[in-house]
Amino acid sequence: MRRYRVAIVEESAVVAEGLRALLAGGGEFEAVYVAEDIRTLAERFALVAPDAVVVSTSLSCGLPRNIRSAYPDLRSAALVALAVAVREEEIMRQFDSVVNIYDKPSQILKKLRAAVEQCEANPYGDSHDLSDRERDVLVRVAKGLSNKEIADDLNISIHTVMSHRKNIAHKTGIKSVAGLTVYALLNNLLDRNDVEL
Amino acid sequence: MKIIELIDADYGLLSILLRLDIQLPFGDISIGEMCRRYDMSSALFLMICRMYACPDYEPDSASLTAADLPHLVRYLRSSHRYWLDTVIPRIGRGVDDVLQSCDRMQAEVLRKFYNDYCDEIRRHLQYEETEMFPYVERLARGEVGAEIRMAEYMENHTDICDKIDDIKSIILKYLPESCTTRQRCDLLFDIFSLRDDLAKHTLVESKILAPVVMVEERRRGL
Repeated sequence: MRRYRVAIVEESAVVAEGLRALLAGGGEFEAVYVAEDIRTLAERFALVAPDAVVVSTSLSCGLPRNIRSAYPDLRSAALVALAVAVREEEIMRQFDSVVNIYDKPSQILKKLRAAVEQCEANPYGDSHDLSDRERDVLVRVAKGLSNKEIADDLNISIHTVMSHRKNIAHKTGIKSVAGLTVYALLNNLLDRNDVEL
Repeated sequence: MKIIELIDADYGLLSILLRLDIQLPFGDISIGEMCRRYDMSSALFLMICRMYACPDYEPDSASLTAADLPHLVRYLRSSHRYWLDTVIPRIGRGVDDVLQSCDRMQAEVLRKFYNDYCDEIRRHLQYEETEMFPYVERLARGEVGAEIRMAEYMENHTDICDKIDDIKSIILKYLPESCTTRQRCDLLFDIFSLRDDLAKHTLVESKILAPVVMVEERRRGL
């Protein structure tokens, strides 16, 4: 059976080693790396290649509100909070699962397993829903605006427009302007009278 | 090798026989015999078959000469006819079937997209038939004077595979649920096969036709 690789971000050696021992006992997970802050893990992420990252909620440098946008490298792993301190809901929302240090070992393993499986089935970096900004760009592409016009209209750089267009093509599987117009109309992002067909 | 063995190895090659107008039944004749009967270069015929059957096949265009060019152009023209007369109308009927259950606006938008794409394919094929192929045929006959060369024709060669991917994504992912899965899948099989065929056709042009023509251009000091 394949063992899932877990990286732990925790300043307390006692807690980190405790979690490592607990995971080793289950046989299903292996703690392959322990770091004291997220940045250190992010820098070595490709080498560590964890399936799940367990992050302590009481790091002295604080927790970013959106760890995945602050450290995009982490996007491919399940993100699990190790709740040693109570944090605001806004910060906790980003985690795929929350493990409490007072949880029973079986509960911790179950939560980790669910988070990893969910992440495998629906990877974060592979979401196919367009973001609000991507929709803004898509509608303007469908209306026939140039990259420059879209950039001026949305007050963003042409480079950003192009990067949105690349993401839109990747997510929808549609490259041509005519095809994107069809997409926009089918999804009611545009009214038939808005475009010349 | 018998033709039947070739088809047993990859039944997709039937579509090549079909477009070359090779009549069934062909009994137990060999590939060489069939090529003689239909006045086709057997080295070229096998090269085309390999391009269709083997994904990593790199054709050795150096083994062909200007004498093969008319055969190659005949094959490419007959592929065009096969798409225009058979495949594209069949996909058009499949699109009509699928769109029957869409609302009027959606059907109109999609039909327009498909028709525009068909026009684009026709223009692409027409350019080859009226400009590029006659040039290759004149070159093979040694009648070429001061005119544009193969490299320039290939530069004007537009990509016609992108939009068919768009149609595929729309049908797979975004058509309303009222379109039945059966109708969608029937249509998708035809679309995937046309897409693969267009991609192979482009490869035959860039990996066989263009190199052989360019060698001939150099040989004639053009």
